Amino acid sequence: MAQNNSSFPVQLYVYDLSRGMARELSSLFLGRQVDGIWHTGVVVHGKEFFFGGGGIAHCQPCGTVLGQPNSIVDLGYTEVNEDLFQEYLDSLAESEYRGDKYNLFEHNCNTFSNDVAQFLTGKTIPSYITDLPSEILSSPLGQDLRPLLDSLAINPGGNITGQR
Amino acid sequence: MAEQGAADLGNNNNNKPEASEGTIIKVTVKTPKDKEEIAIAEDASVTQFKEEISKRFKAKQDQLVLIFAGKILKDGDSLSQHGIKDGLTVHLVIKTAHKAADGGSTSASSSTSNQGGNSTTSSPAANPAPTTVPTGSGHTPTQTPNIMSESACVLFELKTLFLPKITSLSQRLSHAGGFGDLASLAGLGMGSANFMELQQQMQRQLMSNPEMLSQIMENPLVQNMMSNPDLMRQMIMANPQMQQLMERNPEISHMLNNPELMRQTMELARNPAMMQEMMRNQDRALSNLESIPGGYNALRRMYTDIQEPMFSAAREQFGNNPFSALGGNSDSGAQPSRTENREPLPNPWGPPNSSNPSESGGGTTGSTSTSGTTNPSVSNPLGVNPGSLGNGMFNSPGMQSLLQQISENPQLMQNMLSAPYMRSMMQSLAQNPELASQVMMNNPLFAGNPQLQEQFRSQLPIFLQQMQNPEALSVMTNPRAMQALMQIQQGLQMLQTEAPGLMPSLMTSGIPGVPTGGAVPSENPASSPSSAATNPAQQQLMQQMLQMFAGGGGSGGGNGTSQTPEVRFQTQLDQLNAMGFINREANLQALIATGGDINAAIERLLGSQPS
Repeated sequence: MAQNNSSFPVQLYVYDLSRGMARELSSLFLGRQVDGIWHTGVVVHGKEFFFGGGGIAHCQPCGTVLGQPNSIVDLGYTEVNEDLFQEYLDSLAESEYRGDKYNLFEHNCNTFSNDVAQFLTGKTIPSYITDLPSEILSSPLGQDLRPLLDSLAINPGGNITGQR
Repeated sequence: MAEQGAADLGNNNNNKPEASEGTIIKVTVKTPKDKEEIAIAEDASVTQFKEEISKRFKAKQDQLVLIFAGKILKDGDSLSQHGIKDGLTVHLVIKTAHKAADGGSTSASSSTSNQGGNSTTSSPAANPAPTTVPTGSGHTPTQTPNIMSESACVLFELKTLFLPKITSLSQRLSHAGGFGDLASLAGLGMGSANFMELQQQMQRQLMSNPEMLSQIMENPLVQNMMSNPDLMRQMIMANPQMQQLMERNPEISHMLNNPELMRQTMELARNPAMMQEMMRNQDRALSNLESIPGGYNALRRMYTDIQEPMFSAAREQFGNNPFSALGGNSDSGAQPSRTENREPLPNPWGPPNSSNPSESGGGTTGSTSTSGTTNPSVSNPLGVNPGSLGNGMFNSPGMQSLLQQISENPQLMQNMLSAPYMRSMMQSLAQNPELASQVMMNNPLFAGNPQLQEQFRSQLPIFLQQMQNPEALSVMTNPRAMQALMQIQQGLQMLQTEAPGLMPSLMTSGIPGVPTGGAVPSENPASSPSSAATNPAQQQLMQQMLQMFAGGGGSGGGNGTSQTPEVRFQTQLDQLNAMGFINREANLQALIATGGDINAAIERLLGSQPS
């Protein structure tokens, strides 16, 4: 195998989807402070990888419409080279991370980033990101909205009442 | 355990003696698709580990690549060298056969771009364009207008008519990715203030900021939605202007019913880069068309028949087209160019109410004016109240004041209900009781009270029906009526506390209009689900109320008054008579609808006259 001992740095790009509104309004609506609605992507081998409604995707770092990330978390180094990583992603895309598996609360971009980070480096991503869904869902507003949101997240070929 | 025994045996048989020493640890081996627990000796080597794995996963050893803590485990290493202990997880990638030989130089990026369906940002040119896109000249002129008109329709439609639907849902989901802005999700059509204004603002912002458009498009929720052609069709069809358009131009309905085309268009829309490219192609093809003899006419026909009504239909929603008030409603807007225009030109100095194009039935929009709403005028066709425009939803202090406004100002309810948008939503709610019940259930009012939910669910059909009743709607939009209702509620509640045996237990949010505006009852103490008892009596009472709304329309709630409306409104009737409104029936109706408010009644009468 080529490049046996090389190390590739792995980073986590964290974006706040609410552009600051969550920090301001969350205590008003949720009763607790939420600093951001986090979206993450894993940057390795010069590309940013993330999971969305269309499946696993990649782009240039900072290349999504979100622009520059709010913060960058250094996840360490990996020996996994690009091809191996690609195979790994291919398998994921056929199984756990197909496009239709996207679930806003339970299986979202951050779930993906977490899994990939663990694969690449053995480390998980910061818990404030992965805890976000449960924080929101455990607020009274989150509970109320949940059935509505579930019904909104329509899968291709699914129906409007959100049966999955 | 049996597993362990087998593993031991395996180790003993195949491996060097050192394997049998040391404790056995259980290591989880995780592939992208699978997860297995493998028992192995603590001091085993990676080779031995791989042997076990290859048995369990039915793969060849040289296909296995093990990764732990970011390091690739090489055959010569030992597990303990990498710190692999009991209970830890090691990642496994099973290389597919043709790559097993070496690192493999097959392209990585193109396979990513094809996996799982759509990669949102990969190279646009590489993706095959949808097959119906004309790639330039080479099509016969008769063919291209059809194809292009179809795709033009769909594209424009997506961008314009459709945008309001998406934006209203996702406007608060704003930027791409996971959660969106939950804070404004709370206002998702239920408690939101002036829906139309917010929407218009949103659209204005969108138009000025194309980036936002692509953000919205990238949103996985939006994408999920868009990838469901049935849903798309439903949404498009639900728009009354669309329906009109469809009647006039059967091509459009044909196009909508063609799932292929829909799917392609949706893919297009999902990928803004591709969309741009298609637009470019289209433009090129269009310009080619022009040069073909007869082509220019075909283009013109295409434009006037199809695009124009779409544009005007779309712009009506925007409220940006000041001429929409002048030009009457969309019916007269797009005569096919083949026939003479026989419609009388509209009277630009006529009463502004009469030609408000965005009323889609029912005379309650625009023409009911209570203080605080501006009448639609020529330059302000939808009666947008400039006062509350300033409270953009994207300023956080604005957001808060907006909330205050909702709770203090029931007129906003009126605005909300009168948005044509709301109307179509109500219709689709009525048609789809499942969805309606879901939506109702989510209202925070019902959160803690499952009995109330049950109750409400049973009332739902009646409720929905009388929501359609314009009388009931007018009651709801009349702030005074609402206040009266709330007073009744409060009175009932007081009664209950004073004399519990007397009244059957109170209806809390039994008043129909209230649940749709979750914020309005927040000021009403009776709305907290205080009465948990579900008597049959309570249900009866509720039913009575509802029926009274359905039947009597504004003649009062509760247990009814003993006076007939005629008697009550005697003075007002006389006044109206004196003013010259001779039609006593109509006067009475108007007065009933407005709850005795003369000015409002006059507006109603005036609004309904030219019909």
